[in-house]
Amino acid sequence: MAKFALQRIALSIPTLLAVFTLIFIIVRVIPGDPATAALGDYASQEAVEALRERMGLNEPIYVQYFDFIGGLLRGDLGRSLITSEPVIDQIRFALPHTVELAVAAILIGLVLGIPVGIVTAIYRNTFIDYVGRVLSLAGLSFPAFYLGILLLYFFSVRWGLFPTLGAGDFSDPVKNLHHLALPAISLGLIETAYIGRMTRSVMLNVLNDDFVRTARAKGLPEWAVLVRHAFRAALIPIVSLAGIFAISLIGSSVLTEVVFSRPGLGRMMVGSIRQRDYITVQSIMVVYAVIIVFINLLTDLIYGLVDPRVRY
Amino acid sequence: MSQKPEGGVSELLAGALEGRFSRREVMRRAMALGLSAPIIASILAACGDDDDDDDDTGGDDAPTATQAETDDAETPEPDEDDGAGDDEDGDDEGEAPPADRPILRFGLNAGDLGNLDPHFATSTNDRTVVDMIFNALIRYKPGDSSEFEPDLATEIPEPEMEGDKQVWTFKLREGVMWHPGPQTESYELTADDVVYSLEKSANTETSAYAAEYEGMTFEKVDDYTVRIILDTPLSPLLFLPKVANYSGGFIVSQKAVEAMGSDAIKTHPVGTGPFRFQNYTPQNTIELVAWDDYFRGAPKLGGVTLRFMPDPSSRELALQSGELDVAFGLPEATWVDRINGIDGLKADVMGVGEVAFFSFDISREPLADERVRKAIAYAINRESHLALFGAPVAELVYSVVPDQLMVGGLSKEEAEEAGVAYHYDPDQARQLLEEAGAENISFELVASEFDSYRRMYEVLQAELSEIGIDVSINIVDHPTYHSLIREASNVIVIYQAFRPNPDAYFSQFFHSDSIIVTGPSPNTNFAHYDRVDDLIEQARVETDADAQIELWKQINIKILEDMAAMPILFINQVYGRSEKVDYGHELVSSLALYPQITELTTIDS
Amino acid sequence: MAQAQGALDSVRIVSQRERLWRTFKQNRAALVGLVMVVIIVLAALLAPLLAPHDPLAQSTINRLAPPSSEYLLGRDDYGRDIFSRIIYGARVALQVGILSVLLGGVLGTAMGAVAGFRGGWVETVIMRVIDVMLAFPDLITGLLVAAVLGPGMTNLIIAIGLTIAPRFARLSHGPTLSVKKTEFVEAARAMGARDWRLLVVHILPNIAGELLVLASLWTASAIRLEASLSFIGLGVQPPTASWGQMIRDGTIHLTQVPFYSLAPGIALLLTVLAFNLLGDGIRDVLDPRAQA
Repeated sequence: MAKFALQRIALSIPTLLAVFTLIFIIVRVIPGDPATAALGDYASQEAVEALRERMGLNEPIYVQYFDFIGGLLRGDLGRSLITSEPVIDQIRFALPHTVELAVAAILIGLVLGIPVGIVTAIYRNTFIDYVGRVLSLAGLSFPAFYLGILLLYFFSVRWGLFPTLGAGDFSDPVKNLHHLALPAISLGLIETAYIGRMTRSVMLNVLNDDFVRTARAKGLPEWAVLVRHAFRAALIPIVSLAGIFAISLIGSSVLTEVVFSRPGLGRMMVGSIRQRDYITVQSIMVVYAVIIVFINLLTDLIYGLVDPRVRY
Repeated sequence: MSQKPEGGVSELLAGALEGRFSRREVMRRAMALGLSAPIIASILAACGDDDDDDDDTGGDDAPTATQAETDDAETPEPDEDDGAGDDEDGDDEGEAPPADRPILRFGLNAGDLGNLDPHFATSTNDRTVVDMIFNALIRYKPGDSSEFEPDLATEIPEPEMEGDKQVWTFKLREGVMWHPGPQTESYELTADDVVYSLEKSANTETSAYAAEYEGMTFEKVDDYTVRIILDTPLSPLLFLPKVANYSGGFIVSQKAVEAMGSDAIKTHPVGTGPFRFQNYTPQNTIELVAWDDYFRGAPKLGGVTLRFMPDPSSRELALQSGELDVAFGLPEATWVDRINGIDGLKADVMGVGEVAFFSFDISREPLADERVRKAIAYAINRESHLALFGAPVAELVYSVVPDQLMVGGLSKEEAEEAGVAYHYDPDQARQLLEEAGAENISFELVASEFDSYRRMYEVLQAELSEIGIDVSINIVDHPTYHSLIREASNVIVIYQAFRPNPDAYFSQFFHSDSIIVTGPSPNTNFAHYDRVDDLIEQARVETDADAQIELWKQINIKILEDMAAMPILFINQVYGRSEKVDYGHELVSSLALYPQITELTTIDS
Repeated sequence: MAQAQGALDSVRIVSQRERLWRTFKQNRAALVGLVMVVIIVLAALLAPLLAPHDPLAQSTINRLAPPSSEYLLGRDDYGRDIFSRIIYGARVALQVGILSVLLGGVLGTAMGAVAGFRGGWVETVIMRVIDVMLAFPDLITGLLVAAVLGPGMTNLIIAIGLTIAPRFARLSHGPTLSVKKTEFVEAARAMGARDWRLLVVHILPNIAGELLVLASLWTASAIRLEASLSFIGLGVQPPTASWGQMIRDGTIHLTQVPFYSLAPGIALLLTVLAFNLLGDGIRDVLDPRAQA
């Protein structure tokens, strides 16, 4: 197992390098001029040019590239083109909020989604199944930002139950959770739809498996078949797949953060794209890449642990 | 003095110029006419040279005189000490810690800050923050930028001539303390800081406004006296804004800037204002705390938290749910009505109005043909554009220099008389196109995603399609828009801006020096217009106010005759607030484009 | 003999088709999805006939007017008819949805197949890049590519197409590998058959069903992605009516003109749902194991 783990870890290093290069290439093509963005509408051409020089935008592109990769190796993500602050500081502030939101949404998704999936699988092709499936399809058809806006409008403005913006400080758990609730629910509901659907299909597969049939044939009560055999068998793929959902969640969280004015990587990314702050955009993509590669690695390892056949 | 109030602006102006009215009378009548905006300053400043003796106080200058009359709040610290007994903020020594005082929460219309170095701060949001942190030699009266009053200086001086040079001597207040910075202790402001700061403003490396300080030298006389020497004399109307609390006029701390370097002050501003910079979380908040050693007295607020909220609906929702005390609004009458209809909320509409106009690139096809430009002008229906914003948020203008806001602009009647009003007339437009032999005209325009820009572009698009001109619109974000239009991306550019006087409008938008890309100092002359250079320069140095105004009007007419630009309207500033917020001053107009928050601002609990 | 065999084959195919269609018809959700998709497609095609007003006709004096008998859902920021714009919005949604999936599908399938046929470093590089792209959430990739390309319908289609392509590459890669090993294909290759021919003749039929499912589901996602990007301001250009843009514009007036953002939101939801139902249904039909 240790060898397998090391192998996997070693494999992720060239992947990361490739991703970093890809990111660098894509981001440098973004149109627009950060110098003008920084100076605003009153600045003269000279001032813009002076700032370009100071920002290092006039350096040859390969110098910028080696600076970038070299910086990453030293754990330096560069400085924001707009504020000159180290980007890493900003990410350090934003990341926990995004992780918190993603974890909360995944939990909501698992707690609501798994029962929905099991029930719809058991009662497949009945009225319950149809309702459940249509609802979960509706859930994943819902644009995250729209659900967020509706929740905001009703829960915060109409009924005043939750704050509409920002995030609570981590030092104040009650306030923190209060701020987290609505964004987590809006993402969590969508997540419920995904997990519900996946659970249903995994369960259907398992219910058709030979060992479940055998268990049934042995005359075990249906609930015992379900709980002891089918669900247990289904649980492994479900939990492992939670990793993949975590990744997709990071994507959906972007708009949720924007709608709720919540600090986080996604909002930072959208903001930086608007500002043409490509150092920051690039750094956020790097962080996303690291997170994603890490989650994938973890999923791989868990699989290897659970299912020895994977360790080729 | 027997004139009826309906006599209007021009009459009032004439009266003021002839010295028939005292300054106070001008002020009062101007207010009665609803002329709250900088026009009053313009009127006063325009006649500033020759009628000192009109004032009851004799040698005193105008702003001080009006100040004494209209407010007691703004007076310097001795008064503050006297009257402080009834307030909880007490005195210099025993002031309450900020925690006991309310924090004002302010929603900004931006995703992040740009630059808090006041000499680079250009966006409305950056200006908002900078305005609370810094002071200047003189300031626009809070909430009413039509008046100047002393700020760091003890009074507004009169210029003196020394040979062919003009000299302005400023006496500084004593005991003004700098905020402590990340690397500097609090210390007393002296002439060194002022000279250093103004020299920084005049340097292209360290300021976006260097061009405005060309031909000026700055001298320290003693610790509390500074002389500013101008190679070419300027009227107060043109000079005073350069040392006021706007753009390059803000005074920064020499020690703090030198200690931190010019990059660090972008995010660590150190000033002398009522609020001290404490904390900045990118794309989230800026936190300011009360500076209790402020020379006008300790602020009544404990601090100000500014939140970056580019999404207008989130700002509105947060205002409604009580999570914001003040928020940047939408420049729409419907929004104003909506907010005013909500219990506990109030929408304020105030100056200064930003003029929105279309620049036509006269150097490029298809607009090189004057008939095509005029056809487009006739196809534009000002009323359609006005309806996007609605009264009282926007008002129509008939020259790029807004007649309602300052001298030198054209009123509707004046424009009609000169034959340059360009009222909506699609038939005339089609006929002009036909005469020009222009068929199947189509072009692409880049538009900003800012609603006020985007909507005007989209209305223009529909209007031009009516006369057979096919426009495709490419929406980009706001900074990109500004970058692209400066690279001549558009044959028609919509620009929305307030400039403090006609000279600034003309120099930046219609002088050949400012022609984008190819001009000697490219600025915002998108029209590539070069036919009024002489007139602009002539007007700039004209010291007779009457003649100056006449020249400015001529320039406006010429621009319209050549149809280099089509003026549409100006848009006022709109902010929403909780009714509990009391800014501590009347809200008439603010050059800083936000309802200024000062040491007197409070929130009732 | 060969003829008889062919006839037999076609009988079998026909009967299989009939069986599939029958199963499909029994799947009520799928049928509903199909009907909805047909309705939406018809609405898009017949928009000029169905829309009561010109979707581009402005009247700013009447901006944000409430619903009336003439303007069923009220008017927008420019005084345009919201109802007509929603109908025309279907065109944009379908155009972006279908074209980007077509682009992504063709590109992705080709990439997967080429990687499979060629093997070696070509395969390694392609599949590596695809893995990397797959790892990123759609919205993040879409956001980045759209930001790079700038807004506009064509760019949007390209951005979404590129985002989607890797999913199809994964799909075609596996079958290519197994088909490559069959004697028949080896023989064909020996005879100089081109890769693309092999792809069309031997691989596509194998994965046609799954392609259809993926295409349908990704059309749904593409439409949602378009709305999301439009919401951020990276969408189609004015004055074209797009649901995402309408929602964005409408949210500002949510309290005053709720239909402005509510109605396009519902149109969007129903359209995405329709394609999801359809894709889901086809999958159930093709995969009897999941169905049974």
